[in-house]
Amino acid sequence: MTAGSEEPLADSRNIPALLAALRTQRRSCTVLVTGTPGGSIHVRDGLVVAMETPGAPGIEGLLLRSGRIGEQEWSAVRASDTSHEHLAAELVDRGLVGAGELEVISLGALFDAAFALSLAVPDSWEVTDPVPTLYRNAGVTPERLLGEVSRRINLLAGEPGSVAALARTRMRQATTADLPGTVDRLPPRHQDVLAAADGRRTARDIAFALGRGLFAVMLDLRHLLNRGLVRPYAPSTDRRPSTAARIAPSAAAPSPGAPAPVAPSALDSVSLSLPRRLPGRNSAPTPRPHD
Amino acid sequence: MSSLDAALSRALNTPGISGAAVLDAVTGLSYAESGDVSASQDSCEIAEIVRTRLVRAGAEGELESVIVTTSTRHLVTIQLPRQGDPLLLCATVDRDRTNLTWALRELGRYADELLA
Repeated sequence: MTAGSEEPLADSRNIPALLAALRTQRRSCTVLVTGTPGGSIHVRDGLVVAMETPGAPGIEGLLLRSGRIGEQEWSAVRASDTSHEHLAAELVDRGLVGAGELEVISLGALFDAAFALSLAVPDSWEVTDPVPTLYRNAGVTPERLLGEVSRRINLLAGEPGSVAALARTRMRQATTADLPGTVDRLPPRHQDVLAAADGRRTARDIAFALGRGLFAVMLDLRHLLNRGLVRPYAPSTDRRPSTAARIAPSAAAPSPGAPAPVAPSALDSVSLSLPRRLPGRNSAPTPRPHD
Repeated sequence: MSSLDAALSRALNTPGISGAAVLDAVTGLSYAESGDVSASQDSCEIAEIVRTRLVRAGAEGELESVIVTTSTRHLVTIQLPRQGDPLLLCATVDRDRTNLTWALRELGRYADELLA
């Protein structure tokens, strides 16, 4: 809930409007967003300093999954600061990560989470007191955040299907990736993404597995898609036999020369009005972007 | 002031360097900017093309720098290797105020301080 001393926030239509209002009032708070994926937005003095969402790897995931720091060191840092207010300073003081490096990771995770959150419409949100979190940056204005998110969406917008659909698609290696010399001619970064695309992982899963940003992985996936090295994984359940009731075709379409039936039954009129499947049409199921 | 901004403003004290920015080599996200950085986004795209095409052409080793020279200035892009996706240090260097070798030497010095 909001602190009593501060003026109440007017109802905001959406998250950007809310962030702009918080910026005007220079508020420090945490916005809890519910939805899929949902997340939390940490605001200090009106500037956004951190965002967390299950849709993209956070600072912790980036530090640990990439192997920059070990689990044990991380546990020790967390244990030394139970309020979690000085985690960033503790990490730098212990020499586990450089100050500039942590700033890069912190900003990268912030913009990546903003991009992931922008891919879905939130259900609702609630402004609460500031929740301590790990961050190290001077804060970002809501305008800059929005500008960067729309730049990212525009960069990926050339895809068939929406950017959100690309984020949900399970990717697998295409058979062309097995041709000799193909993978060797890719930068190591693309090779890693290609190896991680196993048909079960979405872009988000690959990002978590490699400890990289969601947007960076989606850019690499688009590059691999354009070169035909990965393709969307179409689940085989799409090809299961139809469970629709079968109707005998003989009564459905009488030939023009034949005499009209004396008393057409109700079944005939129904089967005449039903759409008929033509050979060749819709024979190959289109890959569905989700599951 | 953030540690990245502090390191960049020190780089700008070098005569002839009129702007510098630190960008993500993959996403193009600008982590810190100082001075004239109008060309940094383009430099990032150029570096990505060069990096990808060099590997495709069979070149070995990592990209280190890209230098684009116009009649008035050099656009210097230095790739900073790190764990994870590399960073780019993009700088605008005035041709009539300094020479390229000196600017590269200075920028290399600041690049080391950047992530410390």
